[in-house]
Amino acid sequence: MWVMAWLCSLASLEAQSLICGVSSPSEIPSGFRELTEASGFAAANGPWFEKIENDRAIRGFRPGPQHANALGIVHGGMLAAFLDSAMGTAVWHTLKRRAVTLRLSLDYLGPGRIGDWLQAEGEVVGHDEHVAQVRGRLYGPRHDVLAGLGAFALLSRQRSLKIRS
Amino acid sequence: MLPDNPPEGFLRIDFDRDRPDPTFNTHIGPLYAKRGTKGTRDEFVLGFRVQTHMCNPTGGLHGGMMMAVADLVGTMGGGTLAGLRKFLPTVNMTCDFVAPARVGDWVEGRPELVRVTRSLLFTNIYLTVGEEKILRASSIAKIPSGDGPAFGKARLERKEAASS
Repeated sequence: MWVMAWLCSLASLEAQSLICGVSSPSEIPSGFRELTEASGFAAANGPWFEKIENDRAIRGFRPGPQHANALGIVHGGMLAAFLDSAMGTAVWHTLKRRAVTLRLSLDYLGPGRIGDWLQAEGEVVGHDEHVAQVRGRLYGPRHDVLAGLGAFALLSRQRSLKIRS
Repeated sequence: MLPDNPPEGFLRIDFDRDRPDPTFNTHIGPLYAKRGTKGTRDEFVLGFRVQTHMCNPTGGLHGGMMMAVADLVGTMGGGTLAGLRKFLPTVNMTCDFVAPARVGDWVEGRPELVRVTRSLLFTNIYLTVGEEKILRASSIAKIPSGDGPAFGKARLERKEAASS
């Protein structure tokens, strides 16, 4: 999350050049592109996908057994991480600023099912020079799974990020 | 992977006894727990060493990892403090990302019981590195009526955790 928005910056650049490579089209809805630049936590819990539609970023993933909790449904921490990434992306797409999460408030509305295609998107509802307020929604094919409201600190436009190899 | 070298008293949590596939808690781990004297700050402590697979590309602990662990501290730890032995699904959680953590840091999570009603469990959760707080969370979990779905799978490994 400290860096979700950074991932998004890469994502949006590629999306703008209309690269739409999908690894297994039968499982991935059309228009979604795998976020191959992910590393660390995001890579270990991916693959995650993204689609730009009407100038909005939508993220998607299909949970497997490695995303399950003891009940066999998607772990709340996984859902939180995924929604956070989508909300960070929304900040980048709307304000063209990288951001880190300051606060995230989550309401778990229903279970996320293993094997379902889950999508998440964020909407910037307000911002000043330093902080953006973002609303987020994560949903499956049948119902809403998670609702989020977050505050994201906007990073300086000049600031460079050092990537660990 | 760095050696975990958990501090004394921490035992690795086995989330997947008799399960064919590792679940999320195993996948993001290894995670450890320590049980202390009832009523003390250390009655339930969850701990882990920050590894690269828990981080974002700049080498800081990923917020998603912090939230996943906080969720676990709230339900598993909060449930332990409340004497509840069932699966407690989280219905609301608010996280404040107070400070970053880096690869190699030993992170600990502690729950604080706020209130237990018949159907809800209110907890506060702090994640810390040493004395420094890195995440503050406030969580509400549902206490299922009846026995609810069993949460009997997770066990602390009795042997001293092997550093891998």
